[in-house]
Amino acid sequence: MTDLRVRVRLPLLVVGLVAVATVSMVIDRRALSLGARELPAWAGWVLDAAVPVQKAIAFPVDLVRDAIGRYANLVGVADENARLHARIHELEEESLQLREALVAGGRLTRIAEMRADFEVPMLPAQLVGSDVSPFFRSVLVDRGRGQGVRSGMPVISEEGLVGLVTATSERSARTTLLLDRQTAIDGTVQRSRTRGIVRGQGTDTALFEFVAREADVEPGDVVITSGLDGVYPKGIRVGVVSTVSEAGSGLLRTATLAPAVDFGRLEQAFVILRRGPSMELLYRTGDEEAPAKTAAAGGPAR
Amino acid sequence: MKRSLAILAIAFFALVLQGSAARVLPPAVCPDFGLLLSVALGISLRNTAAGVGLAAGIGYLSDLLSGSLLGQHMLLRMAAFAAARVGSRKLNLRGAAPLAIFAASLSVADAYGLFALVLFFAGAQAPPPPLPLEVAVQAVVTGVLAPFVSAGVRRLSHSLGDEEGARLMRLEPRRFPA
Repeated sequence: MTDLRVRVRLPLLVVGLVAVATVSMVIDRRALSLGARELPAWAGWVLDAAVPVQKAIAFPVDLVRDAIGRYANLVGVADENARLHARIHELEEESLQLREALVAGGRLTRIAEMRADFEVPMLPAQLVGSDVSPFFRSVLVDRGRGQGVRSGMPVISEEGLVGLVTATSERSARTTLLLDRQTAIDGTVQRSRTRGIVRGQGTDTALFEFVAREADVEPGDVVITSGLDGVYPKGIRVGVVSTVSEAGSGLLRTATLAPAVDFGRLEQAFVILRRGPSMELLYRTGDEEAPAKTAAAGGPAR
Repeated sequence: MKRSLAILAIAFFALVLQGSAARVLPPAVCPDFGLLLSVALGISLRNTAAGVGLAAGIGYLSDLLSGSLLGQHMLLRMAAFAAARVGSRKLNLRGAAPLAIFAASLSVADAYGLFALVLFFAGAQAPPPPLPLEVAVQAVVTGVLAPFVSAGVRRLSHSLGDEEGARLMRLEPRRFPA
């Protein structure tokens, strides 16, 4: 009897663990597609324990990197200063002209009223660690459920779009970057308004897929989020087109996109504390204002 | 129990360190400590049941610290442990070079195994496969570090009183009469 128990113990253990792994994957995939991927408490503890350790390791590394970066930036700072001054004058002139045009059209007051609606609650977060698998591109940030972060919330930086929160614990959250192989973002070329899908490639560049017919995409074009996927707010910089594939007989063409965000140097980001359909609240029209406000009071819903 | 907890704690810190290193180094250059530890356990741990459990635990830790679905690395680490256990019985992995080659091969299999699992759960839009160059670089890094990690795990097992576990599991070369 004891012999039999010893003999079946290992196969039973292996079968049990394989079953746990399989069920875990299925449940996790389902939670991810529903945008409700919040880690169980005990798994969250592990993630939360990793944050202070990674912060402690990241601190001296970031310090050295910043010092090197600052020194490198000093080179040519005078030239850059002069160039930026010239650009400021140029933009001031442009802004004045636009303002005049808006006043003439009587729309400035309405825009001022709408401004409050566009103010999105954002939470600053520090990036503390990267993915342990080279196949995936994600980062761990030091803000979690305790600070109001939920799965499905977009993450941005001052340079542009960073990614999307895909898992949360009490004090940390995993953000899948736009470079990840599984990321797809509805994007628009700012200049020509050509729409397409930005897909991560698992490398340092992304792919912009667009319909070939009548498409107007050129190297140097800026791609922004269209807001039509209901996940990312409209108008966030995604990247700049670096190369465009030759037009063939196919329906789709592709362009290589250099991300707006320098992921190698990214230390701080902002979590937009709204997700999913509530993003539409940012672009509501006057008629929808009353129900939209009620929905906003109820918090993010998905 | 003491040994298992110590190995899990080391795995946790190694993975956290790996995550920190990946912020400044290219992802492919960062060693995959989860895989390295699973291979080391498969080669040096006597108790198979404990080894499978530890490999599953290390895999789950990797899942938590990665963008993968929970369970993907868990399954792959158990597979790596099983492969290392079978490999250590069928092959002579005592030398650094054979162990490095074996670990590098497992690293390649692991990369494409992960891709297959991702593909299975991806739905309509299939993600692009891993880049061969990236897989090759990771295999080299894994291969170079495998003998060191394996020796470390053996030493740890030994220091925690697992005399049998400290013994390298392999078949002695068959001696034929002259």
